[in-house]
Amino acid sequence: MLKLRSLALLAAPIGVALVAWSCDRQPNALAPTIGTPLAHFNVFQCTPLKITGGGRIDYPPGTADKNPPASHQYETFGAHVMDENGDCLAEKGSLEWVDHRPEWNINGQPLNLHSTVITFAEEATDTDCSDGAAHWGGVLRVQNTGQEAEFEVFDCDNGEPGVGHDGFAIRVPAIGYQVMCPDPDLPPAEPACTLTGGNRQFHPTHR
Amino acid sequence: MRIDTFRGAIRLLGLVLPMTLLASAAQGQAFGLAVNTKTVNQKSVYVVLPAGEAMASDQGQSVSVPGVATAQDLFSIVTGDADATDGSTAVSSATLGVVSLLNGLITADGVVAMASSSIGDAGANSNAAGSSLGNLVVGGAAIADPAPNTRMSLPGVGYVLLNEQLPTGDGVTTTGMTVNMIHVVLQQPVLGLLGQVTGYRTVGEIVVGSATSSVTR
Repeated sequence: MLKLRSLALLAAPIGVALVAWSCDRQPNALAPTIGTPLAHFNVFQCTPLKITGGGRIDYPPGTADKNPPASHQYETFGAHVMDENGDCLAEKGSLEWVDHRPEWNINGQPLNLHSTVITFAEEATDTDCSDGAAHWGGVLRVQNTGQEAEFEVFDCDNGEPGVGHDGFAIRVPAIGYQVMCPDPDLPPAEPACTLTGGNRQFHPTHR
Repeated sequence: MRIDTFRGAIRLLGLVLPMTLLASAAQGQAFGLAVNTKTVNQKSVYVVLPAGEAMASDQGQSVSVPGVATAQDLFSIVTGDADATDGSTAVSSATLGVVSLLNGLITADGVVAMASSSIGDAGANSNAAGSSLGNLVVGGAAIADPAPNTRMSLPGVGYVLLNEQLPTGDGVTTTGMTVNMIHVVLQQPVLGLLGQVTGYRTVGEIVVGSATSSVTR
């Protein structure tokens, strides 16, 4: 009887500690993976963050130069996300994405992706984005078809002005769609395509 | 007692009001097509960044103002965030597919208006980078990449401003930019007593692809 009571006294604090540990913030927790690992944007940490803005990408190739306007080879977007508590769970966020390429004209309109919920946001710490970088995503609706799908974005604030410096990339595996620009000549090879217009603003004081 | 209360209120107002006036701000708006004439006053796919919000968007498959303008695939997106500590930013865009104005007098296929403003430790900056006009034809002449604020006469109609860029702010505590990719000013001649043309008066305007952004420190 005494042994049983001693065992219980020993087990109780261990149980409490285990529960407390499981509830604690995991600074290196990873967001759900929805595809194969990327060469970079691989090291993340959970920390309060916010990133806002919008812009234009001329993909392909996704460099700092604009494609001829008549080619329609460009994408435009607005996007923001906020993780207030530093737990890699986004409290706020939204994505609006339009791909103007003729091959992505679906049901008579340019591909239009509209987020329905943003589920995660984490700071990427292995990039050379000078002002900060984030990996975030959730679920979006393909406005052209009504299909819902998971997505992830790679978001880079690399100084001012945003044009020619900042970057953005998106993947929607369920519809076989991605706008990503890994550049092997840039160490590290980030997947973000360079903005040809607009700006991304990382807000570090939210950590 | 009442005077003391009044003085206290004035003191509080004196403290709060300057803080309100100095508060950082981010503003943006965008629209695909606006027609303003004697008979039509219409702004299509128009979004304004709501106070306290970070983004707003709208879209339309097609817009038609008979005899004046038709446009397809209109999208407007505005984003912004006011942050006195880390810097404020606002980005607005309006994009269109095929556009035809005044029964084909001006046509384009692929219009992007983009305005971006930021303010912070790196200074104040606004630009229209990302804006472009695809397959633009004015009065039968193809125009490639018009320079900012290109003005062309439209005989019998008025004139058109292409890639119109209107910066605002003092460049230190405020900065902003409005981009109107096609801005048609409709004019009628003003006749003198002998029937001679003494001038022109504006009777309307058409704007295709407009984006505005501004931030305040």
